[in-house]
Amino acid sequence: MFGYYFKLGVRSLRRNPALTALMVLTLAVGVAASVSTLTILHMMSSDPIPQKSSRLFVPLIDNGPVEGYTPGEDPDDIQISYKDAVNLLKGGQGVRRTALYGVSAPIQPPRADIQPFNLSGLAPSRDFFAMFDVPFIHGQAWTEQDETRGADVVVLSREIAEKLYGDANPVGQRVMLMGFPFTIVGVIDNWMPLPRFYRLNGGARYGAGEEFFIPFATSIRHELTHNGSMSCSGNPGAGFAARLASECTWITVWFETAAASDRADLQAWLDNYAADQRKLGRLKRNAVNRLYDVPEWLVFTKVVGKDSKLQTWLAFGFLVLCLVNTVGLLLAKFSVRASEIGVRRALGASRADIFRQFLIETGVVGLVGGVLGLVLAFGALALISMQGKQTAAVAHMDWQMLFVTFVMSVGAAVLAGLLPTWRACQVTPAIQLKSQ
Amino acid sequence: MEIRPILSALLRNKTGPILVALQVALSLAILANAAHIVNERRAVAARPSGLSDEHSTFYITVRSLSNDTPEQQLANIKRQTALLRAVGGVASVAHVSQMPLSRSGSNTSVAVDPRQDKPSAVASQFVSGDSLVQTFGLKLVEGRDFLPAELLDIDTDTTSDPPPQVILTKPLADKLWPDQPAVGKTMYFGTGKDSRGVQVVGVVQALMSAHGEVGERGEQSVLMPGRLYGSEPVVLYALRTEPGQRDRVMKEAEDALHKSSATPMITKMKTVDEDRKDRYRADVALQWMLVTVSVLLLLITASGIVGMASLWVTQRRKQIGVRRALGARKTDILRYFITENFMITSAGVFGGVALGLALNQLLVSKLEMARLPAGYLVFGALGFWLLGVAAAYGPAWRAASISPATATRSV
Repeated sequence: MFGYYFKLGVRSLRRNPALTALMVLTLAVGVAASVSTLTILHMMSSDPIPQKSSRLFVPLIDNGPVEGYTPGEDPDDIQISYKDAVNLLKGGQGVRRTALYGVSAPIQPPRADIQPFNLSGLAPSRDFFAMFDVPFIHGQAWTEQDETRGADVVVLSREIAEKLYGDANPVGQRVMLMGFPFTIVGVIDNWMPLPRFYRLNGGARYGAGEEFFIPFATSIRHELTHNGSMSCSGNPGAGFAARLASECTWITVWFETAAASDRADLQAWLDNYAADQRKLGRLKRNAVNRLYDVPEWLVFTKVVGKDSKLQTWLAFGFLVLCLVNTVGLLLAKFSVRASEIGVRRALGASRADIFRQFLIETGVVGLVGGVLGLVLAFGALALISMQGKQTAAVAHMDWQMLFVTFVMSVGAAVLAGLLPTWRACQVTPAIQLKSQ
Repeated sequence: MEIRPILSALLRNKTGPILVALQVALSLAILANAAHIVNERRAVAARPSGLSDEHSTFYITVRSLSNDTPEQQLANIKRQTALLRAVGGVASVAHVSQMPLSRSGSNTSVAVDPRQDKPSAVASQFVSGDSLVQTFGLKLVEGRDFLPAELLDIDTDTTSDPPPQVILTKPLADKLWPDQPAVGKTMYFGTGKDSRGVQVVGVVQALMSAHGEVGERGEQSVLMPGRLYGSEPVVLYALRTEPGQRDRVMKEAEDALHKSSATPMITKMKTVDEDRKDRYRADVALQWMLVTVSVLLLLITASGIVGMASLWVTQRRKQIGVRRALGARKTDILRYFITENFMITSAGVFGGVALGLALNQLLVSKLEMARLPAGYLVFGALGFWLLGVAAAYGPAWRAASISPATATRSV
């Protein structure tokens, strides 16, 4: 029976091509608008490291001045000071921990045919690579000794390594960074979490990877300034040493615990640490010491822009309008066929049969509209990704979204078809036959 | 006139009219809010940067690869500034700490009184050892430019005190001292015991901040005299060229810099036009999206009205024929359908105004968007009334053209 109704549906749609085309187009446009905006929102807010996002924590210690502070206020910055970063590293909490900040450095390629250029990357401490599951293609992270000595070692991205050395394994080679010879200890594969959650300050949050990594201690030893933002409540004084001793915030610290439940221990340790610092005359605000896991961190730092949410909301409003329009058009279409329904009912078809037949017909409209909507959505996403690297990174569809789109479009069409179908079932055969 | 019979006919068969009214309401609500947001973003992107000739202004960042001492760096800055000045077609050159709209630069908090708990404003700080008033072509509205003697060389490794004079933008000066001349006043960097007082010597009309923030922050800038050197390895030069010569000058300026240095250097150039485009890229994208959706919205709503009106005309062929046979003129039929449509659209418009306000309330509370001025809803309402009449006119005309003879033949 399904096959027969399906055929009937297709035939009926072909009988009135203009109306059918209008319905399909309306539905497709609505679906395309909502799907493309939803895809972007979905990609923006997706969990960048699902396997351990509940075991990775960022601490936030408020070291701002007490003047003009209202208790309960958010800290002035989402980073912490050098003093706190070093102390937290020393504290040895969790199974792994890292302190990091963005850096940039000029590189002099070993090949004469490539001009010197600027690299932008990260100065993390060693655990970073293991904590965030960074994939290596050559070598590995620098050693514990390199970290403590602040040795001149570097990990390159695949792109930079290929640019400088082609396909050869460059581990062990020396390269001039900032005018100093650095030994290459590893090369990482393409790695670009969406968003760049481990460092939300400086540069693009989407579609930007790191070109090189040097140890945190090395970067401090070379007095490399941050490539990102820094927030100071007072005048930190001149020179790099003054900055390290100041309460300026420019570093992010991450902890990895063995289990999500170890959070309470970490929080207790952090509170203890802050209390000790207060005894030394620091942290005058006496604010709550915060700890965020990855999903909480993305919410707190408002990673998903308001514009993306706005677009999604309006697109869904638009979809609702398209649905209302489709309901009207279907109603018009079915009302013309009252006599046909009358004949079928008189020949013994039950209301349920009529209901099924017309629902399948609207299902066909939904299917065609959905497929077309999907095509349009791909087109819209391609158009959106031409706007720049940042948007290109989030404007592509994954299987999950593809499935959602499909269910949504067919579901929407069936929903739109319910009222007209129900109205069609109400046709009384006697009246229809009489007026023939 | 005939409102009552039309109304009772409408109430007899409610579903269709309700659907049309709902479409009008939804469209009006979305359209009014979308138009408001588009206009707001356009206004933000249209703010003047304060630069006299943006199209002719660009900047070069230079990073030397020889780890120079601070003194060597200062000598290089002076030499390179002179070198760039000598390039043909260059109108003015300044060594400066940051560029407007470049989305990279520093802010500082400023206060009228050092004893305040909270600073009075946050300002974007432009530090330059040359005259930014000349290079950017800023318009002085009060006071004077820095004197040559006030342009100091400052080693950031040893000095953190600000130079003793500043020039403010008018929005910043008005914020600090409303209705008073700012020139001659003392302004403080920061608050509390660390704060440093400086004297305001001039006020310029406008200079957009480095980040081009939305709202007053984007227009609050402070100019400080000083050639900074020492800790920052990257040096930035802003150049304004004679009109129309920018692209040629850019090439020649970069070549001249590379030729003048024995050690390799990394240079990067960017025009203010590019910075402006990058800064407002997201806003432009949002505008395009909203305009596209709005146009589709109108098309779909219009097609919905046309479709439903056509259906009613078809359904009522016989009745129309009877009315015509009983003496109704064509205009009566036309008026009937137009009036009917007008009533439906009106219901939709009233619903749309309410829905539009509700949607705006949601946007204000959840996404911190601005409140919707009433004008958008008024214009939107008028627009949809017109749209409704225009869309219904075709089917209504067809209804009026039905000849009584053919329409009543089958009765």
